[in-house]
Amino acid sequence: MRTEPGISEREPFATQTRVWRWTALTGVALLALVTIHMIAHHFVVEGIGGLRTYRQVLEYIGNPVIFAIECIFLVVVTIHAMLGLRSVLFDLNFGPGARARINRGLVALGVVTVVYGLVLIGTLASRA
Amino acid sequence: MRDPADGAPGGDERQVRGPVQRKGFGLAPTGWVDPRGRTLGAWAFAANRITGLGLVFYLYLHLGVLTTLLWGAHAWGRFLGVATNIVFLGLDVVLLFGLLYHGLNGVRVMLVGTGFVTDRQRALWWAGAAIGTVVLVGGASHFLGGR
Repeated sequence: MRTEPGISEREPFATQTRVWRWTALTGVALLALVTIHMIAHHFVVEGIGGLRTYRQVLEYIGNPVIFAIECIFLVVVTIHAMLGLRSVLFDLNFGPGARARINRGLVALGVVTVVYGLVLIGTLASRA
Repeated sequence: MRDPADGAPGGDERQVRGPVQRKGFGLAPTGWVDPRGRTLGAWAFAANRITGLGLVFYLYLHLGVLTTLLWGAHAWGRFLGVATNIVFLGLDVVLLFGLLYHGLNGVRVMLVGTGFVTDRQRALWWAGAAIGTVVLVGGASHFLGGR
């Protein structure tokens, strides 16, 4: 771990700016997507906590519009989460090599997360 | 990690004022809860990081829980039995707090960072706190009110 990297070791300003913009952009999208998700899952259905039964979940995810929204939500929230994790890890002031490994690791984790989520959503939608 | 007071210029002053946030870097996690010389913005930053990490943890917990749907109606029914427990519903309220804090503080950071509102950071934070409190109370009463 490096504590005081020199100017040449720091991440290029253009990269920092690009990451910040993507974080902000996905954050704005999440404001709408999380609101929809929370209302749909906790405030629509009658019952304790507004939670859906198995049959209600399948009917819900079987709706093509909801299916599309949930897929977009999954991709956007994963990108935002990986960029957030990246920011926290980069605050530890690692050197360029470690930062490159972190970048590759987070891309891999993000891809696995999205693929698993899409398989999950797709499987449930196919059962509707 | 090296102690900033170990011979570095200004080290003594840094011991009193706490860790500095340098341009291009966020405050290192070791300094998130350091109370020395903290402003509202520094606490807001630390809380944003902590709620963010909590939400990432929840994302994977959520995916894990939703996996029980693949095992059929019986498994999901068993999960609902746990999820409608008062403790679990209380954790839903904690989740809502995390979402509200991270979301509303994120709006503040974006408005300041993009240059729209650069001189009203504190006012924006308090406005977010007011909005968040109202929504949190409403959400909590909904989550817990059905019991």
